[in-house]
Order: sequence, then structure tokens, then C-alpha cells
Amino acid sequence: MEQDAQLVQQCLQGDGSAWEELVRRHTRRIFNICYRFTGNRTEAEDLSQDVFLRVYRTLGTYRSAHGGFATWMTSVTRNLLIDHYRRTKRDRVTDSLDDKMPLVENKESVGRRPDEQALLSELSGQVQSALTRLSPELREAVILRDLQQLEYGEIQHVLAVPEGTVKSRINRGRIELARILQQMGVRPA
Amino acid sequence: MTWTCEQTEARLSDYLDGLLQPTEQTAFDLHVNSCARCTPLVASVSHVLGTLHKLEQLEPSPRLVDSILTITQGPQTWRNAKRWLRSLQSPRFVYSAVSVAATLVVLLTAAGFNWRKPKLADLAPATIYRNANSQVHLVYARSTKFVSDLRVVYEIQSRINENDQNPAIREQTIPQTSPKKDPGRTDNSNPSSPKQQNRANEIGRNLEVLACEFPVLTGSLAERRMP
Repeated sequence: MEQDAQLVQQCLQGDGSAWEELVRRHTRRIFNICYRFTGNRTEAEDLSQDVFLRVYRTLGTYRSAHGGFATWMTSVTRNLLIDHYRRTKRDRVTDSLDDKMPLVENKESVGRRPDEQALLSELSGQVQSALTRLSPELREAVILRDLQQLEYGEIQHVLAVPEGTVKSRINRGRIELARILQQMGVRPA
Repeated sequence: MTWTCEQTEARLSDYLDGLLQPTEQTAFDLHVNSCARCTPLVASVSHVLGTLHKLEQLEPSPRLVDSILTITQGPQTWRNAKRWLRSLQSPRFVYSAVSVAATLVVLLTAAGFNWRKPKLADLAPATIYRNANSQVHLVYARSTKFVSDLRVVYEIQSRINENDQNPAIREQTIPQTSPKKDPGRTDNSNPSSPKQQNRANEIGRNLEVLACEFPVLTGSLAERRMP
């Protein structure tokens, strides 16, 4: 966290390698947030680029006293994702879950049997599909809490809403996700 | 404590995160175990949560980092050029450049380069070589002469000191002269004062010491005196 703040300072002094280091440290995390929100790899990569472009342009407005750089960056990501959601709302197909092919995780897990891995990959794809069916408010809350493992305080900071609202959204998001999966025919083992 | 289905739904995340009070937890468990609506709800949400936690981070395309750097800082070649230019501002580079410049100035000066009236011809390799060669020979000759002078002076000085400290050796080294003739007396007259006489005696003794030590010098002096 302190290292991020130090890298930001170096960036502001014109050190290109410090920016490169920041990009390398956060690309994976930002890409995953974007991917979980959109469910589309290409869109997630485009959005990740937009996030970093905005961060690069507004780096001077970051104040380490107001929170960690990762949290600040997550706020920027969240705002861009909401903007993207509103912009593409008209173009999106919102019905029929069957139209969406579940996305399969491409990363092999160490220590899992092939059949377990296949089952988890299938389930992951179904969960990802269900995630994209959630409303953006509930989706972002679930992604930040259950996929990015952020604390309630950090989520409150990112979403700029009271802690009670954060808890309520996470709770509703989880229940809604379970209902969508039930509709898709996914039953708890 | 009585527990309702609405409470179960509202506090489900607290239950899953282990944030319920013991009494709430007991009431929750009692209700869920006996409620046909809440049991599958809790099971399905627990299952979803478990799956979410098992989901692994995806690896982005290897090109993504480069794409981000390109849209923020320009193409790779431009980034490299900027990094190189930035490295020129480092203190280490500045110190090195100043050292090299100072060395060049010293070398050119030693090679006879005229800084007041610089000419391009002075920088020709043949000119630099010729000037450097003559400068080196000049410096070498001066150094040799200086060392040789130092050696003579040192010899003289050490001999004088030795004689001053040990009068017995001085007496032995001084050749016996005519008692009637004092050194410095050429006109058969007495010196004007004892002080002058003492100085004359001292010079005479030193010359004699020198004559003993450097017979060649004495010979050349004798030759010079001969008409």
C-alpha cells in the first residue's frame, strides 16, 4: 500500500518505470473486476484500458490520506463500469439465459482432479452468467465482497454509500444470485 | 426469541459471515431447521457463496499490459527513448559526464591545444600526437633536471649537517692547511672583524669538504682557474 503511494509519487515526478510497475501490479485485479461485471473478456480488456487511462490522467487527484491506491483505483473502475452499463443498456440482450454461453475458466487449478476441475469450470461459468443477470448495484457489491474480498469499509468507500446499504446490497445480491442459479437449474450439491 | 422468514432473509449474510449474536444464532438455527421455505434458501445461498469463493482470478491477455502502457505513455520505442533521456538526468550520469569532460580538457591542454585561439587543425590526430610528444619530452627533461638538482642539493645539505653535528669528522675530512694563511685572506692583511673572519673560515671549510667529496667538480674548477 505504501509502495503504491510511493510509486504514484514517482509517476507524478515523471518516472515512466514507476507507472509501468503500477500497471503490472494492478492489471490482473482490475481485469477480473471488469470481467466479472461484464462477463466478456474483450469488453473487460477494453474497460481495463479505459480504467488505466483515466487513472493515468487523474493521478494527480489521488490523495493517500483518503485511502489506499487500490481502493481509489477500484472506485474509478466501478464508476467506469456503471457508465459502461448505462451506455450499453440499450444494446444488451436482457432476456433468455439460454442465449448466453457459460464462460469457462481457462486457468488450470493445481491440486484438483480433472473431473473436479471440469465441474468447477462449469459451475464458474454458470455463476458468471448469473452474475451478469444481477442489477449493477447488487452485482458490484457481490463482486467486491465475495470475489475481491474487500472489507465492508472499503466497499463503502468505493461505492460511496453507507455501510448499512453495503450490507443490504451484498445480502440481496447473494440471495438474488442463488435464485437465478436455481432458475438455471443449478442445485446445491 | 422468535424468528421469522423475513428476518432470515434480512440477516442471511450476517449468519454466513458469522456476525450473529449467540441468541440470534440459536433462534436462526431453530427457525431454519423447521422452515420449509428458509432451509433451501440458506442452502442455495451458502452454495453460491462457496462457489464465489472458489472462483479463481483469470489471467488477462499478455498483450493487455503493453496495450495499457501504449495508450498511456505511447509506443514501446517512445517509452524507451523517454526512459533513456530520463536516465541522463541521474546524478551518476552527470558526474560521469563532468569527469569525462574534465579529462578531455586536461588531455587537450597537455597536448598543446590553444583554448584562447582554437583551431580545427589543432584537433588533427597528427598535430595532437606531435604536440603531445614534444610536451612529454619537455616534461620528462624538466623532471629529470629537477630530480638531479634535488639530489645535489640534498647531498650538499646532508654533508654540511653531518659536519656540523660531528666536529671530529669535520677535522679529519678537512685537509691540513698552512697555519699562517687563513682562508679568505688573499692580501696578507688581517680581517676587519672577528665575525667576518669566522664566516670566511666556515665557507673555507665547507669548500674543502666539497672538494673532498666531489673531486671531479674540483678538477673542473681547477681547470677553469687555469688560464
